[in-house]
Amino acid sequence: MLRRAAAIAGKDLRLSVGGGQGLVQAMLLGLLLIFLFSLSRPTGELVSGQAAAAIFWLASAFGLVLVFNDLFSLEEVGGCRLGLLSSPVPEHSVWLGKGLAGFLLLVLSQMVFLPAAAVFLGQDIRGSVPTLVLALIGVDWGLAALGALLGALAQGQAARESLFSVILFPLLLPVLLGGIRIFAGVFSGEPAPDEALWAAIIVAFDAVFSAAGAFLFPFLYTGEE
Amino acid sequence: MTSSASAHEMDRPPRKTSGGGEPVRTHMGDGERGDVRVEVRGVGKFFGSKLVLRGVDCAALAGEALLVVGGNGAGKTTLLKIMAGLARPSAGVVDVRVPPEACAYLGHATFQYPRLSAVANLTFWARMYGLAPSRAELEAVLERVGLARVAGEPAGTFSRGMAQRLNLARVFLIGPRLVFLDEPGTGLDPASQELLRREINGLKASGAAVVWVSHHLSADLPFAEKVLHLRDAGVAYFGPAAEFDAGGLTC
Repeated sequence: MLRRAAAIAGKDLRLSVGGGQGLVQAMLLGLLLIFLFSLSRPTGELVSGQAAAAIFWLASAFGLVLVFNDLFSLEEVGGCRLGLLSSPVPEHSVWLGKGLAGFLLLVLSQMVFLPAAAVFLGQDIRGSVPTLVLALIGVDWGLAALGALLGALAQGQAARESLFSVILFPLLLPVLLGGIRIFAGVFSGEPAPDEALWAAIIVAFDAVFSAAGAFLFPFLYTGEE
Repeated sequence: MTSSASAHEMDRPPRKTSGGGEPVRTHMGDGERGDVRVEVRGVGKFFGSKLVLRGVDCAALAGEALLVVGGNGAGKTTLLKIMAGLARPSAGVVDVRVPPEACAYLGHATFQYPRLSAVANLTFWARMYGLAPSRAELEAVLERVGLARVAGEPAGTFSRGMAQRLNLARVFLIGPRLVFLDEPGTGLDPASQELLRREINGLKASGAAVVWVSHHLSADLPFAEKVLHLRDAGVAYFGPAAEFDAGGLTC
């Protein structure tokens, strides 16, 4: 199962990075958001760490929608979803492969958002870098686990992007709030007193999203045509 | 193509699907009851309140092609999808006596990623079936379907006929013992259709059972051993192809 998941992730990364669609769109949209929010800051004033963190995770969430829409659209061309379903591949391998590819693409786009936040929003990493990295991985894990699940739900729908966003964003709120809280502390250099609580919330929701993805994905992905 | 064939067949057991329920494992080993590869008993299917299949009984044997014919809307593709495990029956039982790794499905869709080359497409699908073919094996399969010279080109640049040949190469790579074909000749030129029929004979000769939905009755009938004629959601005929009276059937 893991080898097949890795093959699916490898194929998705190759097509997504090489095709210049989902990843590039996610990066451009995120950069645009960060730039536009930077215009709202009065001249000579700094954006607070909390606001900068919120903008960063908003850009990431929108990027997530584009990344997973692109990843699942790869299977719609040429009827490849039917090909996967008619093959002996466990549906869990598809979920894992898509989640892994989405996770890596999201991290890749955030490697662009972070310096953009520093430049346009006047932020610096004053807090702990390991905390930032761990929070990034933790939140991204949850985003990818849920994105891979709900991407299957929206596939083949005419209004896929709006449907995906409408369902996804409310569910993602707890991990996004956790990410914002921890990143705010890292940007300002003053860790929030409830940082450990938010880290626990992120880990808990990661577990819930992963379990939900593993359990529900086969039902969503194998829906009869 | 034999690479890792014995190992991957242990991944999943044969499949038995009953109407309205989850697929359940069958304890029947391959070949325990003669050479039946897939058997359908009393299968029915509703789409909402519309009955599209009722009481369908048939079987496909090793080394034989079962031609499924009928007018538009007769339920041919629905039956094929039920047999291939891509749709659930509302009633009845589908007993597939080969593991999923030894089943192949070839239909209208080409199952290809346009931006990947022919070789990359084949490599990906081989991995999905737990195979790890060498470059030489991939090139040999592409040579067999006449695509060796475009092995490195993106599949998106292929014509419909070339794409279907690549799809056929995917089937050969799997080395199936049970093949589901859904009007595989649609959109193909006469030369490609001839290649397809020749290769279907090759699959039968290798011991595979072929379930073949066709709209080209006169051309495909000589290549089939049995015929299943669907009409009015039921079975109008199931028996030897030599004794099949097409009558007014023009599909």
